[in-house]
Amino acid sequence: MSTIKEGAKQIVRLLEKLPDERFKHLISFKETQIDRFRRMAGLQLKEHKEANKNASLDDIKDIIKRTKGPLGLKKDVLQKLRATIPQDNYTEQTIKQQIGSLENLIANKHMKYYEVGDKLYQPAGNPKYYQRLLDEIQGKKNETFFTALRTVFFGK
Amino acid sequence: MLKSSLRRWSINNSIATKTNLRNGPRQLVLSHSYSQQVQNSRKKETNIQEDHGNAPKNGKKFALAYSKYESKDYKLPKWKESLGEFVISAFKLDMDKIRAGPVAGSYYYSICKEQGLQYENEPLSESAKYFYSYLKLPKTFSQWFQITILHEWMLFVRMRAMPFKYGRNYQQKLVDRTFGDIELRLFEEMNVHSGRIVDQYLKDFNTQLKGAVFAYDEGFYTDDMTLATAVWRNLFAGRKNINFSHLEAVVRYIRSQLYVLTKMSDREFALGNFKFVPPNEIVNKLTPVEEKNMKQEVSMKYKKLDESNLILPSERSSLSYTN
Repeated sequence: MSTIKEGAKQIVRLLEKLPDERFKHLISFKETQIDRFRRMAGLQLKEHKEANKNASLDDIKDIIKRTKGPLGLKKDVLQKLRATIPQDNYTEQTIKQQIGSLENLIANKHMKYYEVGDKLYQPAGNPKYYQRLLDEIQGKKNETFFTALRTVFFGK
Repeated sequence: MLKSSLRRWSINNSIATKTNLRNGPRQLVLSHSYSQQVQNSRKKETNIQEDHGNAPKNGKKFALAYSKYESKDYKLPKWKESLGEFVISAFKLDMDKIRAGPVAGSYYYSICKEQGLQYENEPLSESAKYFYSYLKLPKTFSQWFQITILHEWMLFVRMRAMPFKYGRNYQQKLVDRTFGDIELRLFEEMNVHSGRIVDQYLKDFNTQLKGAVFAYDEGFYTDDMTLATAVWRNLFAGRKNINFSHLEAVVRYIRSQLYVLTKMSDREFALGNFKFVPPNEIVNKLTPVEEKNMKQEVSMKYKKLDESNLILPSERSSLSYTN
């Protein structure tokens, strides 16, 4: 049992080292997983800044607009779904696997191994595609109204 | 504008996943002839024909989802073929542009969608076993859609590397076909009778597609961890109890497919010579010698074909075979 707790603590340490996501999504991998493994390791849960943020009126309207459709889930469907989702029953070996996988992901193992080169990173049809996307996420403000229009009309 | 639409997507993604569950167990039960067809089709190589067996047999005509022209048994009458060839050569039509429909819209879509295709009371295909049994994804319509767009995105990445005019067209055809097919499936297989609800679903799926392509693109360009979180949000619908080994397996799967795609020349890819590597197989990297030999073989083959007068006007292509 203690080895599982130790493993969970190690995962929390690895996850805490991850940089924040470049783009703010509704759910954050880092935060949900830190919570999950902190609980498993018996550590105190951290209060997230974002969690206390009240939803604005626009957010609520948006959610209502989107959930107006058929949302009633049937009980048997929920049960079926729960049965398919794996539970947290870790053994010493499986927690080691988890740590190994996380380390591989952090170390960029597969990206380095299956190197695709500039053929795909600077695609011939649209060489600046990924760089522009990343600049936009990081808020570098390289885009002006006219470059945006150009993309709309010419596709790149 | 980009940001707001993407933020909306992430709400949408989880909701759409839930709402579609409702339709999950109502999935179609097929007639017994399907399993025979599956057995037959296993003997054949992967082709569009395999898809034919999944067609609901309720006597209805399917305009697009199961077109008779996509069946391998279908043969174009000789006179139609000659007329076609004549028109192509007389008007000097750009075959690379025309080919986008049958290759991206038909063939590439068929290999994307069959990865996660499953019907209740039917044995799972090999790739479906990977997604539903190994990764333990729920067997729902929206999950099938997520699996399909993951594969489509991999093809988009390769299509961007084609000359812009053609790559864009290939992408467009693939997307058009996807939504045409989903619309039909919602009506015929999920038994949604209201056009309004189908439209709602289609809009949801459209936002999901945009969000997924954005997230995967970011992950592909930056690092494995970002790609893994993108996979977690989209394919795994942000499930809390995620197994990291599953995430790693999917990242590896994606990177290996992209590796295969990058080793293909534009010509081969545009002619529809690509197949996804089955998830239970491992892609080994090519050694420099192997890669050189492979490229030489390919360029020899197409050079010979281009120089000979034996190929039909409809088989011509101006795309590069050396890159």
